[in-house]
Amino acid sequence: MAEKPFFVGYLSVPPGLRAFLAVSALCLVALFAFVGWTVATTQADPMPGGFSGRQTLTGVLSVDPYPWVHVTTGSDAIPAGRPVLLSAPGKSGVAPRAAGLDGQVVEISGGGLRRGDLDLVQVRGGARGLSPVEGASAPALRHQDLGRWRLTGEICDGKCYAGAMSPGTGLAHRACANLCLIGGVPPVFVSTKPVDGEAFLLLANADGLAVTEQLLDHVALRVELEGRIERRGNLLVFRAAPETLRVLP
Amino acid sequence: MSVKYVPVQWNTNKWIYDAVVILAAGLFLWLFIAVAPGFLDHERPITPLMNRARAFGMCAFLMLTAILCIGPLARLDPRFLPLLYNRRHFGVLTSLVALAHAGLILDWYYGFTAPRIAKLEGVLIANQSYAQLLGFPFELFGLFALTVLLILAATSHDFWLKFLTPPVWKRLHFLIYAAYAAVVAHIALGALQDQTHPALAALTLVAATLVAGLHGWAAIRERAPARAGQTTDLMPIGPADTIADGRARVIALASGERVAVFRDKDAFSAISNACAHQNGPLGEGRIIDGCVTCPWHGFQYRVTDGCSPAPFTEKVPTYRLELRGKELFLDPRPNPPGTALDPVRLGQM
Repeated sequence: MAEKPFFVGYLSVPPGLRAFLAVSALCLVALFAFVGWTVATTQADPMPGGFSGRQTLTGVLSVDPYPWVHVTTGSDAIPAGRPVLLSAPGKSGVAPRAAGLDGQVVEISGGGLRRGDLDLVQVRGGARGLSPVEGASAPALRHQDLGRWRLTGEICDGKCYAGAMSPGTGLAHRACANLCLIGGVPPVFVSTKPVDGEAFLLLANADGLAVTEQLLDHVALRVELEGRIERRGNLLVFRAAPETLRVLP
Repeated sequence: MSVKYVPVQWNTNKWIYDAVVILAAGLFLWLFIAVAPGFLDHERPITPLMNRARAFGMCAFLMLTAILCIGPLARLDPRFLPLLYNRRHFGVLTSLVALAHAGLILDWYYGFTAPRIAKLEGVLIANQSYAQLLGFPFELFGLFALTVLLILAATSHDFWLKFLTPPVWKRLHFLIYAAYAAVVAHIALGALQDQTHPALAALTLVAATLVAGLHGWAAIRERAPARAGQTTDLMPIGPADTIADGRARVIALASGERVAVFRDKDAFSAISNACAHQNGPLGEGRIIDGCVTCPWHGFQYRVTDGCSPAPFTEKVPTYRLELRGKELFLDPRPNPPGTALDPVRLGQM
């Protein structure tokens, strides 16, 4: 029987092993190339959404449940009548800056984000980003109660969902979404079926105010949630009852 | 082998080994990051930083899978032993790739917080759904695995092996299996949940099954029956002339220890099967220049006294042999490491 080659690391590779090791090395490199290519080219589509450019808009500010503006003087991208959610740069909201401006006409300026019928503006710092328009009279917003609904969908942070992250949904993104919500970015409920023509709803608690951190355990999951839906201007607000939340398989 | 510590004992084989590993990982990352995005027909591109984070994460998983396959492969087929020789460099590189993945994720998902939350603190507080499987903070599995990888990389040097002692060092490095399980959980509860294509799930399953399967297969193959009850009496271990020159027969004792009975021309000697360096299987080694040479890292011991040749100081226990006719008998009681014994010789009664 032929003697099997014996490898010692600090000596030359025995001739009988060289071909085997060369083939092993090639297989390793080929395996890495195959797996890298396969995983990279089968990644899920992050879906539409993204930055819509610098926006300067005027509108009526509402602070509940989260700051948003009913646009009265819009831009090409965001015409008058559209609702726009607001956030500050990074993972933070604008509630502290919006306090005291509820119901007033304001000018907002910042980078726009759009996904479907969801618009969000990341307002700039200081008065250039958010300031009241002196002397302007605010038109009254239409409030309409659409009744009690049971919806299926996903709780997301409005900013990443609108396109700040790509992808900005799903369980891998969950911690980021939670940090956004902790920072005050408006949460949105993305319904699997449109409600009165809209796919996303601004999420509020049963009293129409900001949600509690209780909902953080259910972000990025497919859930069923009940509550009243009301239309404020052209924005749907989902006044969800947390006790009705059910995680779906 | 070395009598002094140097950062890396480079030699030609290590250079080639490292080059192959870097080529494989580099090709993986290049294809993932630079080439594949151009072939995706997504409505909107994946954020490049996110794509890089995924590339480094998956590359680290594949590298760890390859590393864990080397051990059982080498036990099943000795031709794979050269892949074991420089595995620690593979491990250190893997920990760096995993660190890059973690850094990118921390910067992207845990950055830009207001009020300011430290990134690692963010990992701990952002998701506290410990009571649910779906939505469990899978990042913690990744954090655990990364911590283990970094500890193992930092201690993957013979200084630490000596400082911690081989048994402690070995137990510490067994944490790699816990780290691998954590990585699989990290992927399964994280990235896999957002997939619409089965490729990642299939690859993860194949990788984990391969690692578990190879280890199980190797364990079954190596399960030699212990010689129950024979703790003091001489044990018959078979005809002497069936052991090839320069090679050994490995005997499993009732105590669980293994003894390597070596033949050097017409002389027979027995030493512990466990190398003093990393418990490598000396019985699968060869006698080179009169010394048993470990198949893992080339540590050498004189076959007659279990001592490494000067200036090295490693020692292993020796065992007494008897030759009755052509039959070899082994005394299962070990002698203290480094005890010299005269070999028994064929023709000697």
